[in-house]
Amino acid sequence: MKDGSPLMTDEQVPECLARAREGDEKAVLDIFNYMYPHVAKLVQANLPVRESAEDLIQQVCVKVVTHLDQFSGKVPLLHWVSRIAVNTCLNQIRHEKRRPEVRLADLSEDEAAVVEHLAHSSTEVSASDQVASRELVEKLLDSLKPQDRLLMRLMYLEGRQLEDIAGITGWNKAMIKVRVFRARAQLRKRYSLLMKESP
Amino acid sequence: MNTIDDQLNRLFRAAQNAPSPDVAPPPFGLETRVLAAWREGAKAPVAFWDTAVLTRGLILAGIIMAVSILPALNSRSVTTSSIADEVTSADSGVDADAYP
Repeated sequence: MKDGSPLMTDEQVPECLARAREGDEKAVLDIFNYMYPHVAKLVQANLPVRESAEDLIQQVCVKVVTHLDQFSGKVPLLHWVSRIAVNTCLNQIRHEKRRPEVRLADLSEDEAAVVEHLAHSSTEVSASDQVASRELVEKLLDSLKPQDRLLMRLMYLEGRQLEDIAGITGWNKAMIKVRVFRARAQLRKRYSLLMKESP
Repeated sequence: MNTIDDQLNRLFRAAQNAPSPDVAPPPFGLETRVLAAWREGAKAPVAFWDTAVLTRGLILAGIIMAVSILPALNSRSVTTSSIADEVTSADSGVDADAYP
């Protein structure tokens, strides 16, 4: 925060919301600073191609602060904010058709080394190759539909539970399970193609 | 050669353990723009009132429509009895005879 004051804690949220609804500008500012890192992270993870993160983050933040009176308080504030962020991103990506295929030639040296390690060794990937692994996963996820990409990211990269994902996306658990199952099958297929190219 | 599933699981585990990229502080001016949008929204409670009036109006119109349709439905159910059908066909027969 600019003035150096600490971020609002989860316990302070209801009281701050009440003040914001009464028109307290400082409370709105506190809510903005509280949700900003969460929104920025979500938007950057689900950023549509050719879209600026700043524009989308602003869209989400404006939607949140102008609809504070619609927040029922039944779920944590950040879950509600996540839903708005996710829906805003998905609406932007809806018409995105380009789903690039991952080719071995497109991988960096480190990413190719990770693929080779996974194929020929049964040990875990070393800590020094974790960043390359993440980049490789991101490339594989880019070949999925936006909704599937989001679910796979939440489940496998952020390690979230099904209940948590249902809370963030607003989708029912059965649908999430089916989508994750299908997305994983697709990912398996893409990865197999990558392996076929591997020496 | 390891199975594809095993390889994917290890890949996901490694990716999950990778340090997540830091979130940069809000860009200059974003805070001000969000606050300005909030002030604009707070200034227009009239719009909300308009929406509420519109919703109530639609509900009232729906009730009026339902109430006005109800007698028509009732009379339809009466005329669908077999006696009513016979009377109607007798009437049309009489009409046909009287006005050839």
